[in-house]
Amino acid sequence: MDILGAVVTFLVAFVVGMTYGGLSRKITARVQNRKGPPWYQNFIDAFKLGFKKSAIHHGVMHHLGGAFLMVSSVMTLMIVPVLSHNNWFPNLNFQGDLIFLLYIMTFGPLGMALGAGQTGNPNSAIGVTRGLSQMVGFEIPWVLALVALMIQYHTTSITGLMAAQAHSGTWLMFSSPFAFIAAVMAMLGMFRYSPFDIVGAPTELASGPVSENGGKYLFVMMSSGSVFTFAKLTLYVDLFMGGADNLLILLVKTFALYLIPMLYGMTTPRYRTEQAVRWFWGWPSFFGLLAILQAVIF
Amino acid sequence: MEMIHIIFLIFLGGAVLTYFAGKVSKVLQDIFFLLSVLVPAYLFFANVGIGKEVTLTLGGIPLVWGVNHFSWLFSLIVLGLGSMAAIYAIGYMKGKERKGYFYFNFILSIMAMMGILLSLDLVSFFIFWEIMTWSSYLMTVYNGHETQRIGIKYFVFSAIGAYAMLMAIVIVHHVAGSFMIGSMINFYPNMSLSLQIWIPILFLMAFGVKAALMPLHVWAPDAYSNSPMAYTSVFSGALSKMGIYGMVIVLVTMINQIPQGFWFREVIAWLGGITAVLGTLWAIKQDDAKKLLAYSSVAQLGYIIVGIAIGTELGMLAGLFLAVMHALFKGTLFMVTGAVEKQTGTTNFTEVTGLIRKMPWTFFAALFSIIALAGIPPLGGFVGKWMLYEALITSNHYLLVIVIFFSSTAAFLYCYKFLFGFFLGQEEKEWAHVKEAPVVMLVPMIIMSVLMFVLGTFPGLILKPINSGLVDLGYIDTFKHLWNTSIIFNAWGDHVVLQPILYYIIAIFVFFALFLTWKGHKTTRYVTTKDISSSGEVPAEDENLTFSVGFMQPFLRAVAPAMRRQIDKYYTGIADGLESLFEFMRRIYTGNGQTYAVYVIVFVVVVLLFKSVLF
Repeated sequence: MDILGAVVTFLVAFVVGMTYGGLSRKITARVQNRKGPPWYQNFIDAFKLGFKKSAIHHGVMHHLGGAFLMVSSVMTLMIVPVLSHNNWFPNLNFQGDLIFLLYIMTFGPLGMALGAGQTGNPNSAIGVTRGLSQMVGFEIPWVLALVALMIQYHTTSITGLMAAQAHSGTWLMFSSPFAFIAAVMAMLGMFRYSPFDIVGAPTELASGPVSENGGKYLFVMMSSGSVFTFAKLTLYVDLFMGGADNLLILLVKTFALYLIPMLYGMTTPRYRTEQAVRWFWGWPSFFGLLAILQAVIF
Repeated sequence: MEMIHIIFLIFLGGAVLTYFAGKVSKVLQDIFFLLSVLVPAYLFFANVGIGKEVTLTLGGIPLVWGVNHFSWLFSLIVLGLGSMAAIYAIGYMKGKERKGYFYFNFILSIMAMMGILLSLDLVSFFIFWEIMTWSSYLMTVYNGHETQRIGIKYFVFSAIGAYAMLMAIVIVHHVAGSFMIGSMINFYPNMSLSLQIWIPILFLMAFGVKAALMPLHVWAPDAYSNSPMAYTSVFSGALSKMGIYGMVIVLVTMINQIPQGFWFREVIAWLGGITAVLGTLWAIKQDDAKKLLAYSSVAQLGYIIVGIAIGTELGMLAGLFLAVMHALFKGTLFMVTGAVEKQTGTTNFTEVTGLIRKMPWTFFAALFSIIALAGIPPLGGFVGKWMLYEALITSNHYLLVIVIFFSSTAAFLYCYKFLFGFFLGQEEKEWAHVKEAPVVMLVPMIIMSVLMFVLGTFPGLILKPINSGLVDLGYIDTFKHLWNTSIIFNAWGDHVVLQPILYYIIAIFVFFALFLTWKGHKTTRYVTTKDISSSGEVPAEDENLTFSVGFMQPFLRAVAPAMRRQIDKYYTGIADGLESLFEFMRRIYTGNGQTYAVYVIVFVVVVLLFKSVLF
């Protein structure tokens, strides 16, 4: 049951994440007045890569980079409650809390960074340093928001925060608006859409850390990215929108959230690294501090 | 004769014997060295019971030594890491000059640290503290680089700390009438308020220097990076913990007793937090592995200080757990650096690249310690970090938790820099000859890596002695309330269950590793790091495209305002001022007999002239 539940969760996350990726490509194209690929284009790409016969690697760390990445995304997915009141998705929901989640989310990027480093491609290493710098940037408002929630409800567990919302009947995005604003601003960095696409940086870094990866390696990385996207969106829904009882509501809520970084990115050109890092320490952190103030006073 | 005395005799005799054995045979010297560290370690853990006390009267002053749970915990760090570093040192020192000097000081350091932990009276505490300072000072000048600047800086700070402590000891003896630490603690509530404040400050100055607490940390980066690496792993891993040991005792037994104690602890906690942030930022800037690790040690000690300064049960557990973990991972990382230094002759990231395939085991040890340092599950560092955050949040330190979080996220940057700098990047012909480090150096590193892994899932193994130590200091028993063998709780009852997490991580990793390996394994091939598609160009054999100069430049640009001021400059300013003062003094004390004769005559004349006024 446990293993089956985990596999089902993974498959749901994979399909939803891939679809969202495809939809994002479609929507971006429509905004830019192009026709764009079909919504299932990402599936085509992924399976094409997955079925490639040959692959090359630059050493053991590079070979295993994808596995490290998967540990992080799948573990995040296991910890985050996907549906409340559903016996199929409990996984590890009660075994870890938010601080654990924050740290397991960094496991993958670091493993991936090691893999990217071993390729010897300078663009990979540059991309990694940018990614880590940006992470230091957006973690500040993100942690400020989370700490505000934790001290308000005296719990550090996700299920505890969901229970608090169910109990009071209000979503946390309304009862702790500043925390929500800070968290959403941090989310812009997390999803790496423009103006925070400094890691991949098309036309500049030639896709950064994932360059040198092809075939099965790129397939694993794409899948991991999709699963991770879904897990992060679900986490936001759990924390700020009271979770979801069935899959449909979950999809509506997550997609609404997903539109924020996507649409914001279409209107803004890319930042330089230090600009991006500092951006997060400006207004987002200010809202985070307001959130803490609100939590302390009320 | 008591076992504790025998242990110290073996240390002392071993040090001397090892020193002179070098004249006879190098192998004999190595054997003597190993024996004089390992035998006392074995005897201590096998034969010295907790709660034992022995007295030795020297010159009318009773020197009382004994073990309690708290000092036993630190003995574990000192002797454990000491033994590992001793084994490593055999390989590291092979073919080096002045082995006798190194071994002698190494053994004396270990002995002095054990002496500090076992001392129950202030006299022997102070004596051992001085021996520790001296032996570590002699180690920092072992390499002879800029001995003046580095060695003197360390020594001046240590001396300031030691004099502060000496002053405190004299005052305590004056008012309490005894040199015993126990009677000092018992008498403390009866002291006047000004003494109640000054005695802890004086002690904390001494301990703060060793624990590299800002603003007393400036000696640490230079001293750590200039000692031989086999010693630095002890220096940073265990010797700095003596400062932590002393701090805990002062904080718990003195500062907690007085109403002003809250502010005391807040100030120390914030100093620890600032130390952590600045240490991290400066570590990111370094291009030399030794310097990077030295700054990182300062930062990590900052976390430990934060944990013990906030002083809740969870905070204490976090601080002490991190202290053990820090000994493990920083000890290993300095050993890794030493191994790279020995095999390549340099520790500069801009020079050496791509060693992963030449030194895979060293890389493995480095990877594990970096994961532990970064606090990423499932390794032990995570447990300490988790407890620290939860302790800060549940004790209402909301801003401090952000400061700590910033510092530990920024730590990923130097973690990656360390791994990338040495082991990843393009492989160069220049380093094609490099071989894996000798087995005797690898074994301690691997053992400690495995320990970090075990503690990540079963932190209870080490939380148990920590808990006993804290109970000795007067804390409540936190077993099953804040920790279990492999579950950790916070004060609100939230928890992380480590075992299923580990199994999930292993299962996911193995599954995808197998998938990547098994799928099309016949058509998957290895290509060199020169065979890359960098903008459609393939680099030539002699072309090095590794990105290593100005590695974290964009981030450093973003945090530049925080790094503009350096406390070191202020100290240099003070030192320059003092130097000109001494220059002036030298003009008076010329060393010339005739000048002194003139002074005497002038003095006599003045006395005679103003005789009626003066007398």
